[in-house]
Amino acid sequence: MALTVDLIRADVADALGEDPADIPVDENLVDYGLDSVRIMTLIERWRRDHGVEATFVDLAEQPAIEAWAPLLGVTS
Amino acid sequence: MTAVLEPAQPTALPSTGLPLTAAQSGMWFAQALDPASPAQNTAEYIEIHGPVDPAVFARSLRQVLGEADALRVRVVETPDGPRQLPLADPPPLPLTVEDLRSAGDPDAAARAWMRADLAVPFDLATGPLFAQALFRVGDERWLWYQRVHHLVMDGFGYSLLARRTAEVYTALAAGEDPGPGRFGRLTELVAEDTAYRASDAYAKDRAHWNEAFTDRPEVPSLAGRTALPSRTFHRRTEHIGTEVTDRIKELAAGIRASWPEVLIATQALYVSRATGAEEVVLGLPMMGRMGSAALRIPGMVMNVLPLRLTVTPGATFAELTRQVVLGIRAARRHQRYRYEDLRRDLGLLGEGRALVGPLVNVMPFDYGLTFAGARTDAHNLSAGPVEDLTVNIYDRADGTGLRIDYDGNPELYEESGLAVHQRRFLDLLGRIAAADPHTPLATHGIATAAERALVLDEFNNTAHDVPPTTLIGPIEAQAVRTPDATALVFGAESLTYAELNTRANRLARHLQSLGVRPGALAAVAVPRSLDLVVTLLAVLKAGGAYLPLDPDYPAERLAYMLDDAKPACVIADTRDRVPAGTEVPAVLLQEADLDGYLGTDPCRALTPQHPAYVIYTSGSTGRPKGVVVPHAAIDNRLRWMQHTYPIGPGDRVLQKTPSGFDVSVWEFFWALRVGATLVVAEPGGHKDPAYLARVIREQAVTTCHFVPSMLQVFLAEPAAAACATGLRRVFCSGEALPRDTVQEFGRRLPGVELHNLYGPTEAAVDVTYHPCDTSAAKDGPVPIGRPVWNTRLYVLDAAHQPCPPGVVGELFLAGVQLATEYLGRPDLTEDRFVPDPFAAPGARMYRTGDLARWSDKGEVEYLGRTDHQVKLRGLRIELGEIEAVLADCAEVTGACVLVREDRPGDQRLVGYVTGQADLDTEDLRGRLAESLPDYMVPGTVLVLDDFPLSPNGKLDRKALPAPSLSAGGGRAPRTLQEETLTRLFAEVLGLEQVGVDDAFFDLGGTSLLAARLVARVRDTLGGDLAIGSLFQAPTPAALAGRLGADEGAGTAPDEALGVLLPLRTTGDRTPLFALHPAGGMSWCYSGLLSRLGPDQPVYGVQARGLVDPDEQLPSTMEEMAADYADRIRSVQPHGPYRLIGWSVGGVLAHTVAVRLQEAGEDVDLLALLDAYPSDQWQDQAVPAEADALTALLRMAGYDRGDELTREEVLATLRREGSALAGLSDHTLTAIVDIVINNARLMRAHRHRVFDGDVLFFTAAAPRAEDWLTRESWRPYVSGLLDNLDIDCLHPQLTQSRPLDEITAVLTSRLKELDG
Repeated sequence: MALTVDLIRADVADALGEDPADIPVDENLVDYGLDSVRIMTLIERWRRDHGVEATFVDLAEQPAIEAWAPLLGVTS
Repeated sequence: MTAVLEPAQPTALPSTGLPLTAAQSGMWFAQALDPASPAQNTAEYIEIHGPVDPAVFARSLRQVLGEADALRVRVVETPDGPRQLPLADPPPLPLTVEDLRSAGDPDAAARAWMRADLAVPFDLATGPLFAQALFRVGDERWLWYQRVHHLVMDGFGYSLLARRTAEVYTALAAGEDPGPGRFGRLTELVAEDTAYRASDAYAKDRAHWNEAFTDRPEVPSLAGRTALPSRTFHRRTEHIGTEVTDRIKELAAGIRASWPEVLIATQALYVSRATGAEEVVLGLPMMGRMGSAALRIPGMVMNVLPLRLTVTPGATFAELTRQVVLGIRAARRHQRYRYEDLRRDLGLLGEGRALVGPLVNVMPFDYGLTFAGARTDAHNLSAGPVEDLTVNIYDRADGTGLRIDYDGNPELYEESGLAVHQRRFLDLLGRIAAADPHTPLATHGIATAAERALVLDEFNNTAHDVPPTTLIGPIEAQAVRTPDATALVFGAESLTYAELNTRANRLARHLQSLGVRPGALAAVAVPRSLDLVVTLLAVLKAGGAYLPLDPDYPAERLAYMLDDAKPACVIADTRDRVPAGTEVPAVLLQEADLDGYLGTDPCRALTPQHPAYVIYTSGSTGRPKGVVVPHAAIDNRLRWMQHTYPIGPGDRVLQKTPSGFDVSVWEFFWALRVGATLVVAEPGGHKDPAYLARVIREQAVTTCHFVPSMLQVFLAEPAAAACATGLRRVFCSGEALPRDTVQEFGRRLPGVELHNLYGPTEAAVDVTYHPCDTSAAKDGPVPIGRPVWNTRLYVLDAAHQPCPPGVVGELFLAGVQLATEYLGRPDLTEDRFVPDPFAAPGARMYRTGDLARWSDKGEVEYLGRTDHQVKLRGLRIELGEIEAVLADCAEVTGACVLVREDRPGDQRLVGYVTGQADLDTEDLRGRLAESLPDYMVPGTVLVLDDFPLSPNGKLDRKALPAPSLSAGGGRAPRTLQEETLTRLFAEVLGLEQVGVDDAFFDLGGTSLLAARLVARVRDTLGGDLAIGSLFQAPTPAALAGRLGADEGAGTAPDEALGVLLPLRTTGDRTPLFALHPAGGMSWCYSGLLSRLGPDQPVYGVQARGLVDPDEQLPSTMEEMAADYADRIRSVQPHGPYRLIGWSVGGVLAHTVAVRLQEAGEDVDLLALLDAYPSDQWQDQAVPAEADALTALLRMAGYDRGDELTREEVLATLRREGSALAGLSDHTLTAIVDIVINNARLMRAHRHRVFDGDVLFFTAAAPRAEDWLTRESWRPYVSGLLDNLDIDCLHPQLTQSRPLDEITAVLTSRLKELDG
């Protein structure tokens, strides 16, 4: 199953312990508590469940959901 | 073999290099502090489980190193600061490849090699700043080792390098093209850093951190102190298994946190409980690359962010973890601001203060690399310098759990101590992982189960059966057994047991008629005398509890006690002792006719639970409180004491403690229960060391008690030594017993036992005991010891969980010795006597408010107070009580009282008030004395406009000013002895200057300081000076007169101006010769005397011409040195010689030393105090007379003002009261000539080589003559030039503080020489 922006947002919110509604798609997630451990956790999850191939560096370079979408194979 | 690899790509750095980034600068400065230190080395090795082709591996490395330009730099200092330059092209890239399979233990051999390599510092200026090695440790197992300077690489950088290396190797091994590297460039890092530092974000981040730390919080460390990073560190590695790791991860998920945050919260909890600090500041190393180009650059970027946490027992673990999550989130928004910058902003650097405590370094980067299919494990060897404690946490790639390293600074932690912290932390983590995170943190202690059993049960194994008796019963039984033995002695009077018993019985029967019975109180206002003891026994015999009313207390306080306690009667010797206006019936011993009463023991229905005495102690709310102690408690205490320190007929116990202080209780009653004799000291005698020494000797006292501060005074009394023959045991209690005092005791009273006891009034005098080792060998704090019979001690943390050994907590007491209550104060009683959670229901424990810790051996050490209660001279004082009385004065609007220790070891009470501008502080002190005992009246009361407040609005006690004591006017010292004494007065009193006619006690001298001064005078000038002399001769001038004319230091000025100045002629060590500085006089070396100790002879060597105007000044330095060498040999005909010299004196010392060596003598010490060889001076103009005059003024400690001529300079000296002003005009004139002559001779002098080492002391404060360098001695010294920087100017070297540092080094060098 391919990832969608909503799914990414839900997983990110889960990792941050926040409500998905409170996570904007265009803001720097570091300000919301995103750190390397959480990125690693997300990558592992997405690799396992969605076959994602992006690396830690790819995601950490631009820590925002909009920027991640193409890297994570979101097509729409 | 070591191969040299060629780089694959040309460097991208400009040949002029780049500046360092802020992150790199931090590392650069750290290295610059200790250039030879390997502490900035980071290292790891990767274990490859499979075949490796070394040639392919080398090619891979070459390629990766070629791609990583941030690695290929060296760092040089330039006028614009340090810059990183590209390594020469092609740079040497060292790789060691070794096959260790033939070694017995290949892995161990490899690790030994790595350890040795890790200890090699890089040379920043030459580079390369990395080293590589590849070891074959098995047929299919290899270790790849890398060491890199932290300035060019951080932990994340390592992971980039390793990943790319694996990628390239895998490709090359398969014969494929590894493809282009994707590393970013060093120029990008520098540009990003420069842009950040110019940005608004930088300013905002800076403001954020400065705001967050504006109060500069105290940072708790497990070591309790700070230190610079050492060159190495201790590491303890432990692992957490998968089961616990999984539970931690589940726990984290359940409370919306990550697993590292759970570990950080646990570490914070541990630090908080282990240090007793509610607020903890942890350091979090951050990779600092999120959202940055640095993510692709293997370089140094990481930062350490401080995380402030508040840990309270009532909060839950989930709440604490939430604080961590939110704290890190907030910190991350400002994560680019450097740790080093913040530390500097806050001014912590200069104070040597830390910004953070332990670091928690989470390394989440899963290597999981493969080299051509072979799997790997990464092993970190060093993550950089360790300032305090660094906890490295690795999530191991193979799913086997977590690895936890505890790295400790060896300056602060021993390896065993580090292991203990780590074990407790892991134990706590295990319990937290298994517990409900929503229960309060109070449910968790930091002690392991074994430690808990140790401190609660094993250390408290004190159960002992005692018969159910009372305080008085055993005394009556003893009177039957030995009626004719002497019970009491007071001066020339004495009473037998039968006489004492009979007299007490008659009075007891009278008291019974007045209502004194079990449960009732009787106040006793009788000064120390036979009657006092009779009266106390009588009250007890009547069944009552006695309430001592110390006649030295102010009437108002005694009246309050009577009113509060409502005793059945008050017994006094005379009417005037009974506070006026009281309604309590009085029994006056002088008037009472008791002959009609029977002399036999009276009947009474007394049980061990009835009160035996009530003693009032200071109360924090402004009212003293009465502590009610039952018979069972004090009976247990006395039975334990008799068992532990048995005494009997023939023993004599001294009663000298005032009855209002509970130590007096055992003094009064112990001897009388066991057939010994009680010797009662005169009223007031307890303060007079000479009297005490006399009474102990004359009355053959075998046992007595001292409060430690009084013991110091006693030991300083010359007559005290004579007590050693009869005295068997001395007990100390009442305040902390300093180790120095114990050692002094051992010296002064050899063979006498010294025991340290501890206990509050609330637990029947003492509850712990420790036999002191009085030998000089022992050091460290003196423990208060183990619990007495039927007593348990608990050291509890903020959550009332037991502290493991070594951890400081509050001391709680439990067992039979606890007091019943505070008289009539159920609220206070409930507050201090609380349920004992470690014993059967209904049991109580008393919270002492004392800080303490267990030793591993089960002894307790006392470490101070948790609150504002203080002890002065063993007397307990609640500052709040004094503040309340001050605040009651109408003109006072605010009051605060402190115990200050502005001079080490000298504690004094100081009051601070605000109020009307014309407040009369003497009047205030007078009014305090009306209601407070003497010892509670502050010696000084200062009036302030406002109280200083801390940023959070609380009174900032630390900012309250020290009371100023000034002195220094008056006549100048005329002799060296006077000069020495004024200096010693000033040192002991902590003053800048003292005049010869200033009286010691007027300047704030106390009896404790007097003891110290007398000891210093004795050490410096010799002679046997008693403390009493200081009372009779309280000024330096008077004391000098008393010391007499027979001292070597010379009492007439002329005697102190000869070539040989005998500063101290006695002592059995090899003499030290101190050569004069430019002015020709060596008085400045008198400060060496007390510091080097009484057995070190010291001679000054002074210029000719000071005494005799006709004496020719020498015409060459060699002539002068030859003369001095002769004079030195007249004292000590043959070597080894020891020479020291300051300034010109150093040049002379060197010259004399060379001459002595050329004459075949041994010179084993040559110490130069900021002296520079003649080469350095040759191009300088010879000083004119004006310069010599300036030098003369400097010698006297003044800067030159507008004095133009000799006459004006001499006038200034006389006016300012300098020691020099006591010299004749001739001598002063001679000094000017000598200064000029010395300057001329020095410029013409040619040094020869001294064969040996030189001890050098540099006055390191910046100076105008910045060209002076000790390195210029090198051609003239064959051995080492061993330097110590002293932070002062050249003229300040012989002042107190610099001299302390100099003599510390000198003393240890002299010790080494003497073997």
